[in-house]
Amino acid sequence: MFIRELATADALPSLEATVRFASQRQQILAHNISNIDTPDFVQKDVAPGEFQEFLSAAVDRRRERWGGHRGEMEWRQTRAIRSDDHGGFRLEPVEARQGLMFHDRNNRDVERLMQDMVENVAQHRVATELLRSRYSLLGTAIAGRI
Amino acid sequence: MYGSLDISVSGMTAQRTRLEAIAANIANADAIVDPAGDPNPFRRRMVHLAPGDPTSNTLAGRAGGVHVADIELDDAPFRRVYDPTNQFAFPEGHPEAGYVLYPNIDPMIEQVNALEAARAYEANIAAAEATKTMLGQALRILG
Repeated sequence: MFIRELATADALPSLEATVRFASQRQQILAHNISNIDTPDFVQKDVAPGEFQEFLSAAVDRRRERWGGHRGEMEWRQTRAIRSDDHGGFRLEPVEARQGLMFHDRNNRDVERLMQDMVENVAQHRVATELLRSRYSLLGTAIAGRI
Repeated sequence: MYGSLDISVSGMTAQRTRLEAIAANIANADAIVDPAGDPNPFRRRMVHLAPGDPTSNTLAGRAGGVHVADIELDDAPFRRVYDPTNQFAFPEGHPEAGYVLYPNIDPMIEQVNALEAARAYEANIAAAEATKTMLGQALRILG
């Protein structure tokens, strides 16, 4: 139980969720990029804004339930983010109707895809760096010496 | 994360196949006989892509990505070039006497398609590099 409390304290669940979101979204973006020349293909995505709302709602629920910054996260699904059976979540991308429709009925927008990918990698980097520093702090605390 | 790499590699493979078909079209733009030596002009090859990749190693790779669904022969009419001295020209009495049938390949169209396939290949490489970067970052969590 003590280890479980350590693993769900403070920002650790939020950071892990962000890493998981970025990894799953990378798959969606790679799928869109590999299909930029496929006829009748419609680009799908999950908006980072929707994930931010999903995460902040879970943080607020945790604060209300456990009265602070400890405890498990309880995910409540949104339009494109669904709970899975293991207490986590999975992304179900929705059609992104942005950009021009080309003659092959594909609404590719290569520049926007590249931008999304760069931002996704940056989000992943921020979350992993913060996670690393948190785990390093935990390690220091457990070791009992600096 | 390995699913993302599978997806990007499937994209690269599909675009490379497209480029090979385009290269074959350009190389055979003036091929008016078949390998047996009979007058049978080369027909333009068209590559059709479709989502999903059944040959992928991962479940995510099979659901995502892209594959070559079909390589179709273009049924556009052949080019007609007037050359009565050519041994394969239509004989006298034929409605198109003196004309030779050439492949239905326009090098300009093939060049533009080749450019597009090359750019799509680069885009997939960029996606694969981004996935590799994220993999490296995830490993650094361990310290």
